[in-house]
Amino acid sequence: MRRLTPLLAFLFLLPSPALAQKLELAVSLSPAIITFSSGDPDTVPLLTAPPLQLTYRIRGNGNSPWSLTVLAAGDLIAGASRIDISNVTWVATPAPPFQNGTLSKTVPQRIASGTGNVNPDSIGSISFRLANSWTYDLGSYTQTILFTLSAP
Amino acid sequence: MRGPRPAHAAGPAFPMRLTVPVLLLIVLVAAGSAPAAQTSNATLNASINSAARLSLSSAALTFPDADPDTSPSIQAAQGPITVTAKARTSPNGTVTLTVRATDELRSGLNTIPASNITWVASGAGFTNGTLSATTAQPIATWSGSGERTGAHTFFFRNLWSYATGTYTLTMVYTLSAA
Repeated sequence: MRRLTPLLAFLFLLPSPALAQKLELAVSLSPAIITFSSGDPDTVPLLTAPPLQLTYRIRGNGNSPWSLTVLAAGDLIAGASRIDISNVTWVATPAPPFQNGTLSKTVPQRIASGTGNVNPDSIGSISFRLANSWTYDLGSYTQTILFTLSAP
Repeated sequence: MRGPRPAHAAGPAFPMRLTVPVLLLIVLVAAGSAPAAQTSNATLNASINSAARLSLSSAALTFPDADPDTSPSIQAAQGPITVTAKARTSPNGTVTLTVRATDELRSGLNTIPASNITWVASGAGFTNGTLSATTAQPIATWSGSGERTGAHTFFFRNLWSYATGTYTLTMVYTLSAA
């Protein structure tokens, strides 16, 4: 034990980020329900939902990169009818760190990215848009999308 | 110089020299498992309501005068009328386009039955037909939502029995989805 004591002391004194500063990530949405109202495709080719406010915070990240992605759980679904989720796009501000994009149900799409910490909370605004089409069946479509804030 | 360990000095259930590294490992593993991702869900809702839009390439048809013997059927001067029909309906719902004359062809007190006007159609879902002042006649039928385009060319049956005059009528197109 006496031989191990210096080693233990050395190990505890090592600058370990995991030990020295705990990584804290937080992300929240308001509202959590995004609604597209119906419209005539000829006069309203893009159905725009009210802006979504995304609040995020990153602590203990040092100078490491972070990213915020969004992934749809599937297509928009109303019974047996579907609207491909790639018809949903978004416009996000401020840029940077936010960027515009198109929803996918297979690959998480980056919506924001940066390095270091974001502290205190920062807010982004995201406006989702649905490409309107005459080919859509009548119905009330729904789908869940997942926002993920991650840092290595 | 160390002698042999006395019997009563037997060590604990596990040797102390193993305890510290194991505890250290546990501490480091626990510290390294801090969450590196946070998630939040949102729900997308979209209401797709019924809608229909119909457009014609021409809002007027004109049949020029002609000798009934040489021109028993007169084609409208405008040629084929292009019809664009857009409609939203339920899955496999029926979309129907009809036309009806509001009256017979009329010139003062003289009339010519609207049924003397016929059309020949082209395009998926479009059908030929005869105009009627009493019953809406089908021009086209489709299944499901979408945008369709077709054309129909109108013809007027030319007869010697008609009184001279300038005859007119109004046609009403109706696009409906069920």
